[in-house]
Amino acid sequence: MTNAKKTIEVKVERTIPAAPAEVFDGWLDPKIPGNPWNMAEKLLLNPEVDGFFYWLVRGNSHYGRFTEMERPSRMQHTWVSPNTLGEESTVTVTFEKQGEDTRMTLVHSGLPDTDGGRGHEKGWNYFLNIFPEQFINVSRGSQEGR
Amino acid sequence: MDQLTDVLTAISHPTRRAILGQLARGPARFLDVAKPYDTALNAVTKHLKMLERAGLIERQKQGREVLISFRGEPLRQVAGWVHEYERFWTERLDQFEQHFKDKKTKEKKA
Repeated sequence: MTNAKKTIEVKVERTIPAAPAEVFDGWLDPKIPGNPWNMAEKLLLNPEVDGFFYWLVRGNSHYGRFTEMERPSRMQHTWVSPNTLGEESTVTVTFEKQGEDTRMTLVHSGLPDTDGGRGHEKGWNYFLNIFPEQFINVSRGSQEGR
Repeated sequence: MDQLTDVLTAISHPTRRAILGQLARGPARFLDVAKPYDTALNAVTKHLKMLERAGLIERQKQGREVLISFRGEPLRQVAGWVHEYERFWTERLDQFEQHFKDKKTKEKKA
């Protein structure tokens, strides 16, 4: 009997006003806001191929192993968390020179496609932020009782 | 196409998102909807048809006028579809981008 697990992929892109090497280094520097390591309650980070990380945030442990490290263009590491149900997912970040800026693309693949992984309430709130304030109020009214 | 696909297609275009934003403030007549856009009325009609197919707007006859109004319910499907990690990485990269923007602004001022 096969037990194929359905997975999904999340892709986020940004243009960062700095050179690829600076952005690459910034993504690994826990002092810089926005990278995941910055918000750690406890962090062990060894960003080299076969180096591990342990990242504790909001009481949840995350583990991973760096599998590719090609400064300044690409890094990849595995990602295991309560939301991946203990399975290994993969985070690949690429940094492409775009004039004076860097096109940064983050792909998080191999995520289990489960209700637990989906946004629900959080995703709903996130999405609501995109829409006008008046819509937010209308929708919060209809959201009651979920 | 399923409704989620229809909704995602409908909100993938900036003009259609702008129309939704406008209608979220209250129902409007067709010409009022079309007014802000420097585009042919025919193009606005096509946008409205896509929004209607996705269930994001509805037309109601009031006397001699037809009012177009916004329906938010189908967006609930999209919200459920958004993965926790999509939200997480979006927020992280927003902050990361802002850090470099702030840094560049400070460097220009110095």
